Amino acid sequence: MISTTSLTKRYRDTVALDDVGLHVAPGSIYGLAGPNGAGKTTLLGILAGLRRPTSGEVSLDAESGEVAVLPDTPRFDPWLTGREVVVLAQSLVAPDLDRADEVLADTGLTDDARRRVGGYSRGMLQRLGIAATLVGKPRLVLLDEPASALDPGGRREVLDLIARLRGSATVLFSSHILADVQEVCDTVGILDRGRLLFEGPLKDLLVGSAVPRYVVHVRGEAEPVAARLRQTSWVVSVECESEGVLILEVASVAKAESSLARALADAKAIVASYAPEEVSLERAFLELTGGRKR
Amino acid sequence: MSLVRLEILRLMRTSRWLILGAVYVAFGLVGPLAARYMKELLDVAGGDMEGVVIEFPDPVPADGIIQYVNNAVQVGVLVTVIVAAGALAFDSIAEMGVFLRTRVGNVWRILAPRLAVPFLAASGAFTLGALAAWYETAVLLGSLDAGAVTLGIALGILFLAFVVAVVAVVAQWARTMVATIMTSLVVLISLPIIGIADVVGRWLPTRLGGALADLVGDATAGDYAGPAVVAFASLPLLIWLAVAGARRRET
Repeated sequence: MISTTSLTKRYRDTVALDDVGLHVAPGSIYGLAGPNGAGKTTLLGILAGLRRPTSGEVSLDAESGEVAVLPDTPRFDPWLTGREVVVLAQSLVAPDLDRADEVLADTGLTDDARRRVGGYSRGMLQRLGIAATLVGKPRLVLLDEPASALDPGGRREVLDLIARLRGSATVLFSSHILADVQEVCDTVGILDRGRLLFEGPLKDLLVGSAVPRYVVHVRGEAEPVAARLRQTSWVVSVECESEGVLILEVASVAKAESSLARALADAKAIVASYAPEEVSLERAFLELTGGRKR
Repeated sequence: MSLVRLEILRLMRTSRWLILGAVYVAFGLVGPLAARYMKELLDVAGGDMEGVVIEFPDPVPADGIIQYVNNAVQVGVLVTVIVAAGALAFDSIAEMGVFLRTRVGNVWRILAPRLAVPFLAASGAFTLGALAAWYETAVLLGSLDAGAVTLGIALGILFLAFVVAVVAVVAQWARTMVATIMTSLVVLISLPIIGIADVVGRWLPTRLGGALADLVGDATAGDYAGPAVVAFASLPLLIWLAVAGARRRET
């Protein structure tokens, strides 16, 4: 659906995008994660045709009327009502459709649809933007931080809306809220300082990028157990995270699965539990970006 | 909802139509009154002028229209520039520009109603003001040559088209609405300054703003042929520049 080759964008001396090769499969929900200033908005702008790349190519398998874009802080003429904004959006991209009331209901704006937009809160504007984006039944939806301005309830509604698009539209959305990306997306791209550090299925990122770790809960003194484990060849490092909790970085999951129980027994540890640490997108992200904060 | 209706709503709901109409019609009503009763007004306002005596010639019908044009053109152009900039600087708030640009493939579709509606509103207000001034002049000062008034109104409308087209170009190259308004005004004020050199001045479209006042006096249609031709010729060029600017712009 979307393919870019060696996409580069420079603003004078600043490289906003550096040799980005993005591939978004039809029908997928693709999460573009990255710190502020990573180039996410620039990339979405180029895909939407709002900005021109310095070099490289963009290929979209959608006509211009089939692509819908939502900026991170949508704004509308304040003297229009919410319903008029959605009807205008519909008339510009799909005049034959009559979905304004349906998408207003989906985004929880039915009661406020006839109020002027000037009186809307930021969260309501965000939901109105989503309604205006979806009203034309686009084949490709580009969303820039669609849930960033919303309260928890609003975020839940928006994420559900995005999830419901799976299969009927291709969605590319950027977010610095990694939990949102992890929850909704099947494919992830990690962008940092203009470079696409990772692209692929979410599970590949979680399994492939992060160093495998185990969480071990022991009774009694943890430090002697940690000292003994550090002498084991396949244990990369051991940290006593809190009282009785050890975090082990291991060379391989397979080795840990076959040998960790014996190693703990050899260390005379009284083990309450042990399990592989569930790798979060946040941890994988931090490892990929060298720990840069979002 | 069409983009034309959007522009009509912009005029109506922001009261811009009311401001345009009020400026031109108010000057249209006040101009002939001021011309007819200027002497009386100064007598009332001036009081003892310490021996200074101001003598006014008896007002003639042309004075009513001249008063209208002198007052209405300057303030009217200012209001027209503001109204046009409000519509044409659609990228000044980037998110609003994104809304339109990602839904309308050709920027000309965005620009056309934003050129047409402010222009029609300004010309309608100017015409209403001129008709009001014409009627009141006829009542208070005497009749005017209908042909001269009609031609003067037509040339005034052509001038407003030029003004809106200048704003359209500036709006696509300026970053903000305030910059659009200020730059447009500087351009429109600079042209008459350039026109001090008569060889240039007699061709400048900005001369058309005063055509109505001159034509009801002793000017002839031929005096405005040059500026009218230049204005007509520059309109497509200005609109092309505006479209080119809108196409090259990144949001």
